[in-house]
Amino acid sequence: MSSGKALSRFHQPIAVPGRRLLASIPLGFVRNKVGGGGHKSVNHEIPLIPFIDFLLCIVLFLLASFSASGELPIDKNVQLPSAVNADSMVDAPMVAITGTQILVDGIPAGSTRAIEEANRLQKIDELFNILKNKRDLWTQVNPNKPFGGVCVLQVDRRVSALVVKSVFQTAAYAGYPNVSFMVKKRATEGSGG
Amino acid sequence: MAGIDTGGGHGGKRPINQEIPLIPFIDFLLCLVSFLLITAVWSQMARINADARVPGPPRPEEEPQEEKKDKILHIEMKGDTKFTLVWKEGSTVVNTIDVERKPVPVGSEGEFIYPDLAKKISEEWNQNGSHRAATDTKIDQAVLHTDNSTMFQDIIAVIDALYTPKRDFRIGADTRSVPAFNVTFSVN
Repeated sequence: MSSGKALSRFHQPIAVPGRRLLASIPLGFVRNKVGGGGHKSVNHEIPLIPFIDFLLCIVLFLLASFSASGELPIDKNVQLPSAVNADSMVDAPMVAITGTQILVDGIPAGSTRAIEEANRLQKIDELFNILKNKRDLWTQVNPNKPFGGVCVLQVDRRVSALVVKSVFQTAAYAGYPNVSFMVKKRATEGSGG
Repeated sequence: MAGIDTGGGHGGKRPINQEIPLIPFIDFLLCLVSFLLITAVWSQMARINADARVPGPPRPEEEPQEEKKDKILHIEMKGDTKFTLVWKEGSTVVNTIDVERKPVPVGSEGEFIYPDLAKKISEEWNQNGSHRAATDTKIDQAVLHTDNSTMFQDIIAVIDALYTPKRDFRIGADTRSVPAFNVTFSVN
């Protein structure tokens, strides 16, 4: 009695055998019906686990190769020129010229209006002070490293050379002689229209 | 679909088996892959280098050293019809070449390039460049002279043409291909 109760908690591991089709009896059509009617089964199992593994691998690869240049803040009003012979971006102070405003890493650093009105090359004091402060801060934080003096100019393609040269010269005076211009990388040399 | 079977749920207890929602998870992963692919393709920001040798030395805290005067290529883009390439050794003009200003449109955004200028600059560097050996640590200098009213995209097109000739540059055992010229601006 007690052993029967204990067994009823589980599925019966041994069942009473039912009726079996004897192999010796020639009923091939029954055997075919049981085995799928002789046709190949059309149901397919999608191997989801390898698929998810594959997707995760792609995501990890793309995240690892995600370029920091994709996160650069670019003003929507700035139309950058393009160039073929360009290098990859570097981490450096970004001087943007948007309309009449000059920004250093998003902080206002003067106006181009004074340069255009004077119609001559001139040093932009506000820009000079901000860049000099950045340089001093960098040398204090990294006392044993040589200062690279790199800054990146983000300039709209319609801006005049007078403004570009004034900003360029101011950056050089502030200790940033290696000036780079931000451009859109063009893959191949176009042949026209 | 996929689930975690803890084997419970018998004897009147609430089953604690869980089904993982695989379809939304796959949708999320596909969205993530699409986003990363799109940003990888369309963010093609780069930089084109220039060096402020003029008007001051690159390191203001260091005294400029007296150097042997090399030939410097001056590019004057002051007219609308031509570029003038001038090789100078100090203040002495060595050679002057005129190149017709023929902008070739590129893309649909009104941009252009100067392939004739790029070709001529390459030829000139092959003939007159002072630092062509891979072991030479110096780079030939080019100075760009522009009008105040010249547009920035015009300047970039000329700098791009100036960076067309390439040379090998050996650092230790490593050899890299670098632009043959280092560009700076004239303040005059």
